[in-house]
Amino acid sequence: MQSEDLAKALAPVLGDRILGVEPFAKTAGRLRFRADAALDVFRAVKEDLGFHHLSMVGGIDWVSHREVFYVAWSDRLGQYLLLSTDLPADAPHIESATPVWPSANWHERETWELVDITFDHHPDLRHLLLPDGYVFHPLLRSFKLHEPEELEVKKRSV
Amino acid sequence: MWINMGPQHPMTHGLWNLRVKIDGEVILDCDPEMGYLHRGIEKISEDRHYNEVVTLMDRTCYVAGFAWEHLYILASEDALHIVPPERAEYIRVMCEEFQRIGSHLMWYAAFVQDLGLMTPFLYGMRDRDIVLDLFQSYSGARMTYEYMRVGGVRNDMPPGFSAHARRALDWLSDRFVEYDRLCLGSEIFRKRCDGLGVLKASDCVATGVTGPMLRSAGMRRDVRRDRPYSVYPQLDFEVAVADGADVTGRYLVRMEEMRQSIRIIRQILDWLDHHPGPVLADRLPRWLGAPYAPVGKEDYVLKRNYPKGVGLSSIEEPHGEAQAYVVNEGSEHPYRVKFRSPVFANISAARHYLIGYRVADIPPIMGSVDVCVGEVDR
Repeated sequence: MQSEDLAKALAPVLGDRILGVEPFAKTAGRLRFRADAALDVFRAVKEDLGFHHLSMVGGIDWVSHREVFYVAWSDRLGQYLLLSTDLPADAPHIESATPVWPSANWHERETWELVDITFDHHPDLRHLLLPDGYVFHPLLRSFKLHEPEELEVKKRSV
Repeated sequence: MWINMGPQHPMTHGLWNLRVKIDGEVILDCDPEMGYLHRGIEKISEDRHYNEVVTLMDRTCYVAGFAWEHLYILASEDALHIVPPERAEYIRVMCEEFQRIGSHLMWYAAFVQDLGLMTPFLYGMRDRDIVLDLFQSYSGARMTYEYMRVGGVRNDMPPGFSAHARRALDWLSDRFVEYDRLCLGSEIFRKRCDGLGVLKASDCVATGVTGPMLRSAGMRRDVRRDRPYSVYPQLDFEVAVADGADVTGRYLVRMEEMRQSIRIIRQILDWLDHHPGPVLADRLPRWLGAPYAPVGKEDYVLKRNYPKGVGLSSIEEPHGEAQAYVVNEGSEHPYRVKFRSPVFANISAARHYLIGYRVADIPPIMGSVDVCVGEVDR
């Protein structure tokens, strides 16, 4: 299925809740949707197009905003689908995908602690890879691995 | 009562903690605790040149380094719009299939040792060494290879490799009778494995479980066949399935997968013998592996015309479906690298295949999952 067919198939169900489907290499396309309609979009994609298998959930910090993306697989179409949406940079949050895809559980926990995206109504939003009580979100761009100045000093001392 | 099995426990194979709630011997609930081996590989990648990330990939899953190198390289080549020569692709797939044999043998050795069978452990390790010897002959390393590059592989096979590899395959393909006799023929093995850790196909899909665990439930799902990548469309092989959905089923699937890998490698060796050629693409940009330029000091380097792109790759890693998502925002470093680890999803479903069984069943069940903590924690 091409991205245009996908857009046509989803348009009657979802209407303006999807913002568009862009072509994406080796997948059915990248579906951009409105963050406040997340669960409707997930349900439609799963029930109508057979994307029963959620492969991963991830987040990207674009500094001006955050992006959260989902990769799902459909046995019926034999294709992957990327779903993505933009969230505001301050207090980004989106509805948890666990009611539709139970496998989103750990992926969302990981995205929450690393990229600081809150998943509303998640059954178990605790730290997974980082220690409990850790307040930083390492995959944000503001979390620097090391300051350039430090490196400079090291170089001079060698 | 909650008890901790880990982080140091003979069952865990790596640093992780399985918290189990028990009533007598029966498991009522469980909660895997991960993160003891979290090294922030995704974060470190943002600070590296594209070829330098390959070094980290070997450490992501230390028993399946080649598979992870291939995964990352496929995604970053898409993101950088670089096409490798065909011979390099064949070599990469050969690496991946040899790695599958090596990883499954490592699993076999560790798994049977959990059950108290020492002889098959030694046989598994002995045969894995043959695979490692081959890796050493062309990559120079037995575990952390750093062999694949964006745009190809580092070097071609040494002279005489094909003959050595064929001899190794002949040796390996005769060993399965022995493995099966030691395990399936053993009353103890069957009693500890049959009907344990059952996870039906529908539950597998709901919880994101992939790989041998999913195929042992009778579902014929394999990324190599469903969404062929690299040169898999040119290769002839069967997808291994079993129908028990239990520990024995996972054993059968892995054994069959090794036989299929041998079949694939034989075809690749035939192809490589008759198609000499370059193994690295021409005119690769030098900044792919340029000297380390610290973040924030990029002005040292001349401003170049960097391409932009996004790459998503998906491969059938020895443990299941692995994915990489590489975002290239036009710089020497990837903007964001995200990995999907199959073991991560397989462990997250632990509640579904552990509850109701007994404490003594935990080692065989978790052993059959084939946990590699390096790729869960990243």
